Amino acid sequence: MARYIARRLVFAAFLIVAVSSLSLVLTRLAPGDFTTEALGLDARRETVEQMRARFGLNKSIAAQYGDWLAAVARLDFGRSLLYDRPVKDLIPERAANTAILAVTALAVATLLGLPLGIVTGSRRGGVIPTVIRSASLVLLSMPPLLTSLFLVFLAARTGWLPIAGMRSAAVPEGGATVDLLRHLIVPAAAIGLPLAAMLERLQAQAMSEVVGEPFVLAAFARGVPRSRVVWRDALKPALKPVASVYGLMVGTLLSGSFAVEVITAWPGLGRLMLDALRARDVYLVAGCAGAGAIFLAFGTLLSDIALALVDPRARE
Amino acid sequence: MTGQSRNIAVIIAIVAAMAAGCRSGPSPEAPASTAGLHRGGEIVASVRSEPRSFNRLAARDTTTVLVATLTQAKLVRVNQATQEVEPWLAESWTASPDARGVTLKLRRDVVFSDGHPFTADDVVFTFDAAYDGQTHGGVGDSLRVAGKKLKVVATDPQTVTVTFPEPFAAGVRLLDNLPMLPRHKLEAALKSGTFSSAWGLSTPLSEIVALGPFVVARYEPGQRVVFDRNPHYFRKAADGGALPYVDRVTIDIIPDQNAEMLRLEAGQIDTMTSEIAPEAYAPLKRAADAGRVQLLDLGGGYNANALWFNLKPGAIADRDRARWLQRDELRRAISMAVDRQQYVDTVFFGAGVPVYGPETPANKQWYWAGEPKTPHDPAGATQLLASIGLADRNGDGVLEDARNQPARFTLLTQKGRPDLERGATVIRDELKKIGVIVDVAALDSGAVIQGFLTAQYDAVFFNPDKTALDPALNLDFWRSSGSAHMWNMNQTAPATDWERRIDELMDRQTAATDPRERKALYDEVQKIFSEHLPILYFAAPRIYVAASWRLTNLTPAVWRPQLLWSADTIAVAR
Repeated sequence: MARYIARRLVFAAFLIVAVSSLSLVLTRLAPGDFTTEALGLDARRETVEQMRARFGLNKSIAAQYGDWLAAVARLDFGRSLLYDRPVKDLIPERAANTAILAVTALAVATLLGLPLGIVTGSRRGGVIPTVIRSASLVLLSMPPLLTSLFLVFLAARTGWLPIAGMRSAAVPEGGATVDLLRHLIVPAAAIGLPLAAMLERLQAQAMSEVVGEPFVLAAFARGVPRSRVVWRDALKPALKPVASVYGLMVGTLLSGSFAVEVITAWPGLGRLMLDALRARDVYLVAGCAGAGAIFLAFGTLLSDIALALVDPRARE
Repeated sequence: MTGQSRNIAVIIAIVAAMAAGCRSGPSPEAPASTAGLHRGGEIVASVRSEPRSFNRLAARDTTTVLVATLTQAKLVRVNQATQEVEPWLAESWTASPDARGVTLKLRRDVVFSDGHPFTADDVVFTFDAAYDGQTHGGVGDSLRVAGKKLKVVATDPQTVTVTFPEPFAAGVRLLDNLPMLPRHKLEAALKSGTFSSAWGLSTPLSEIVALGPFVVARYEPGQRVVFDRNPHYFRKAADGGALPYVDRVTIDIIPDQNAEMLRLEAGQIDTMTSEIAPEAYAPLKRAADAGRVQLLDLGGGYNANALWFNLKPGAIADRDRARWLQRDELRRAISMAVDRQQYVDTVFFGAGVPVYGPETPANKQWYWAGEPKTPHDPAGATQLLASIGLADRNGDGVLEDARNQPARFTLLTQKGRPDLERGATVIRDELKKIGVIVDVAALDSGAVIQGFLTAQYDAVFFNPDKTALDPALNLDFWRSSGSAHMWNMNQTAPATDWERRIDELMDRQTAATDPRERKALYDEVQKIFSEHLPILYFAAPRIYVAASWRLTNLTPAVWRPQLLWSADTIAVAR
């Protein structure tokens, strides 16, 4: 198992460097650079050239990439052109916010999607499975962007929840944690509900297949209660397909969170990357992409480990 | 207007201009009435992006400028509501008769928020910092006359002499660009070459001292900036009481306008720091009708979206194509082909005014009333195009040039700006009716700017925001050598006779001390512009802002931030 994890970690490191490098090069290749956005149209040419020289934008892409790579080897990820701060200082504070949102959304998705999938997958008919299935289809057809717009609208109209942001300006009576949880509901639901629907559908499919397996039918035939068969005997094999896509879901979670962070003003990595891309902040884009790759690699690793635990053949 | 009343108006204008030029005595800027205004409370506003710095000289983005507006002060202030120059940190000034300099007297007893006195040394230091090669806020470039720096000397702790390299009629108006900075806090950074990083977002907030009405009290990255009132702020209300009226301003960072509007309607913010987008007007109007917000109509804007062609000689590789693409007649035909009222209706949903030249009617002081209003005349446009060899030779509804190549060009515009994207569509559809094919390419702003900076484009439809109304402050646009002379930038010598003539007129206009002469010269410039139409304008939006009913004593202005430009005099209802 240790060798398996080590192998996955090497792959994760390669993924992170590759994604960051590609982001830096692509941002540099795009027309325009940070100076056009930062200085505007009425800047003198000398000012533009001074700024380009200061930030290394007057070098060739290869030279700039080489310098950046050498710095990265020393764990120096460059200085954000936009905020004039080290990238390694900017990323963690925003990544932590994104992680809070992503973990909550994943928890929402898992806690809702898996049990509901087991319910709908283990029963052929009935009102409840039909309602759950229909709700899942509706949620699956709505991208997180629309879900978040709808939830923000709902929050604004009802006044039940904060519309945007991560914390109130003044800590309310319930304390900072309660305040954070209240702010989390809209963005976490916007990301988590479509994922819950996806998990529900996957789990339902897997469960319905396992329920038809001979060992499950034999258990039913022996008169073992249905709920015991489903939750004790059928659950573990039915989790395999879900475990294999769990890692990919973390990637989806991240890309989905970008749009939701903008709509709900959540101060996460997605918004930072969007600002960096707009400003052609090459080092910050590379840093954000690298952080995104770390999320993805971590998710994939977790998924692989989960799969290896459920199905030892996966370690091969 | 009769001849007599016109004469009286002219005399009043001259007297007012002279008074503005050589102002002395007590400051008149305090609010006229403070009766019934409540002191205390908080304003919550929103911005779309976070500041890049707390140092205005290091960055020029909208939020950094807003932070500077709230926390810093200038020597003089251009009142955004009246466009008059007002004494600010300088209580009076005297312009030299030849418009080559100005002597400013600073207020006594002004201190920074840390209690350190503000003196002429801070003024000289701030100019040094602005002109330093390390700063990237664009202020140093805007503080030049004919591309040269101003000479600033502190003659005593309360007196500063500013000398312009050439006669400069706009005079102290130029100083509205520069917030004063504390020498005692920033001199070390300037000397050590780290000035552009000084007062960055990670600087301890206690290090950031203010001369303006507020101090930065808290910064939560990605979420908000909180400002508390500056207890040492130098301005007083008319009743002698302290300003600002409110104790706190919170600026929430909300990147999405829909979320901003919902929060405004829900009472979670008091105002947005930018005007309402045309597509957001209808829902906010409903909210205003229902009494949930107040909607303020500020009239027509100063900026209109602009269409220009690449007129740089040799920039269009295909010479035969350049022969019609760079002709005045093509631009005149386009001006006739586009129905400006339809443009207003489609792009601004009716809330706009047709525009025909570089100044909109909102710029009352400099707008040329004699400007020709091009009628919507597609038939006339077709005739004009025929005169430069564009005709439908094969009856397919598309005009062809002499080589039978279709009359077709690519129009670059900015992606993500709905007014520009809608406007480009209107232009494309209108020109299709006269047989000209337009391929609209919507790119992000950086790519569009790069396109025209490198002269690699046919035509651009963009909004190069004007930041000052006085033409002498927009010389980079007017002069052929200017970096913002959009259609053919940074010319070493004027490419055409009419550009040479505009250069001459603008040089005279900038140096002239007689306001009437300046206006007449600028009218002449606008006349030449209208004859050659190097840039086509179609319409400007009406500017609306929304605010909660809590906010009182507002002095809204067309330019951003429409309400918070005068944050020290805003009060909130009890």
